[in-house]
Amino acid sequence: MIIKILGSGCPKCNRLEQLARDAVAELGVAAEFEHVRQMADIMQYDIMATPALVINEQVKSSGRIPQMHEISGWIQEAQVS
Amino acid sequence: MNAVEYISMLLQTGLGSLAAYLAAHVLLCLLPAFFIAGALSALIPKEAITKYLGRDASKWVSYPASALGGFVLAVCSCTIMPLFASIYKKGAGLGPAITFLFVGPAINILAISFTGVQIGMDIALARVILAMIFGVTIGLIMAWVFRKDDEEHNQATNNNNLFVHGAKVPTRTWVFFALLLGVLIAGTLQVGLLTNSYAGFTLPGSWAEGFQSRLDAWVPPNPALGIEGIGVQGVLLISLLVLIGVASWFGLNEVDRGYNAWTYTALVLISMTLIVASFKVAATPTGLSVGLTGKLFAEIILIGLVWWMASKRFETFEIQQWLWEMWRFVKQIIPLLVVGVFVAGMARVVIPASWIQSLAGRNTLLANLAGVLFGVFMYFPTLVEVPVAQTFLSLGMHRGPLLAYLLADPELSLQSILITNTVIGKKKTAVYVILVAIFSTLAGLIFGFFVR
Repeated sequence: MIIKILGSGCPKCNRLEQLARDAVAELGVAAEFEHVRQMADIMQYDIMATPALVINEQVKSSGRIPQMHEISGWIQEAQVS
Repeated sequence: MNAVEYISMLLQTGLGSLAAYLAAHVLLCLLPAFFIAGALSALIPKEAITKYLGRDASKWVSYPASALGGFVLAVCSCTIMPLFASIYKKGAGLGPAITFLFVGPAINILAISFTGVQIGMDIALARVILAMIFGVTIGLIMAWVFRKDDEEHNQATNNNNLFVHGAKVPTRTWVFFALLLGVLIAGTLQVGLLTNSYAGFTLPGSWAEGFQSRLDAWVPPNPALGIEGIGVQGVLLISLLVLIGVASWFGLNEVDRGYNAWTYTALVLISMTLIVASFKVAATPTGLSVGLTGKLFAEIILIGLVWWMASKRFETFEIQQWLWEMWRFVKQIIPLLVVGVFVAGMARVVIPASWIQSLAGRNTLLANLAGVLFGVFMYFPTLVEVPVAQTFLSLGMHRGPLLAYLLADPELSLQSILITNTVIGKKKTAVYVILVAIFSTLAGLIFGFFVR
């Protein structure tokens, strides 16, 4: 599973990465993290605002920090499919 | 005056402005403003605004939405650039994107309330209104100048439904904002109803006057330079602020994971500080006279309602996000602001008033241009432009050029020009910069003409 955090390095983006890492650790799944900082690369995705969470190239949330249980849910979903 | 005396005088002036800033008007204005900024950032889904900024939105919708969107979305500069890029590349196009870019930094709630309290409501209002009008105008001009590029661009990205899914802001959020705004307004508005004392008492003791005169010796008030002294109440407030800082560090850094005892300590201290700041306190020979002002009652009621709503009407997660965002703004802005105020305070003694007066003492084209150029080449962190402007004002700058400077400074730092460049390219950036410079100068001239 590849988890990408899109964000210009703002505190919110770092917070999201930390939450996602915690979720992965809690679920005990194997995941690769990538923090996308370049504006041009971020704009490849259909998002309006950072921070955004992308799991296996699917945008899960953007412009906000999701709740922990949402993140865990997405990760589990991605694992099943 | 020898070097040691000079340096100690410099430090004293810097400290004097810092103390006055923290203790006086700033507290009742900045503290609630940070809570509002946090709420805007945490409680309003960005889609609530961006749904009006899609590719198919009519001009009559997209331009005003970009101008107003700046108020809601742009509290933090780190969200401006991504939003600007996506409005330009995927949404309403160059014009509204430019409007958003221009208006955002000029009208965020922190900057406006701070400007209003520190420099005057006239400048704050002029800043909002002119920024919106000129933002739309500059956007329209840019869209017209580059109309050909924009059409090609339109065809290139003719895809998605990114902007359509709606999001609604619930009524309780609006009520909550009204309450927070009420706390800010009740604390800062200078009308008799709020500032008059309706009852009072005196804490007896002769220490009060002695303490006050010692404070005056440490931080001598100097009305000529616009330096206020600090009172007994101010000392109490600054101590409370320090306590808030400590409690918040332990209580709010990870508040999105849950509350702890420090969180409640911090929140209670903050509420207390706002209430303490609303008393009217003066040192008299018989003791400390304390007046119960209208604003005191207003603040107690409003803060009570905010507590009630936050605990009963919102989900815990929303409130945690709100507090986290608020504290993040504080950590990001306050340290720079403290340094900025200190240095701007010292600058009052270093810069000869005659320079400022000859350069920008009158409302001329050249004076306004000087204000704009200063704004471009000096980069001040968010909000620091306000104490800098106040220093200029106390040294005799005319309010027209001052507004020109205040408009240009957040818009046109070298840093923001470089980033804009990476999104829209050299040619468009150059036109944008020139337009902003012209319009800020004009704004100053027009405003200066009316205020004399």
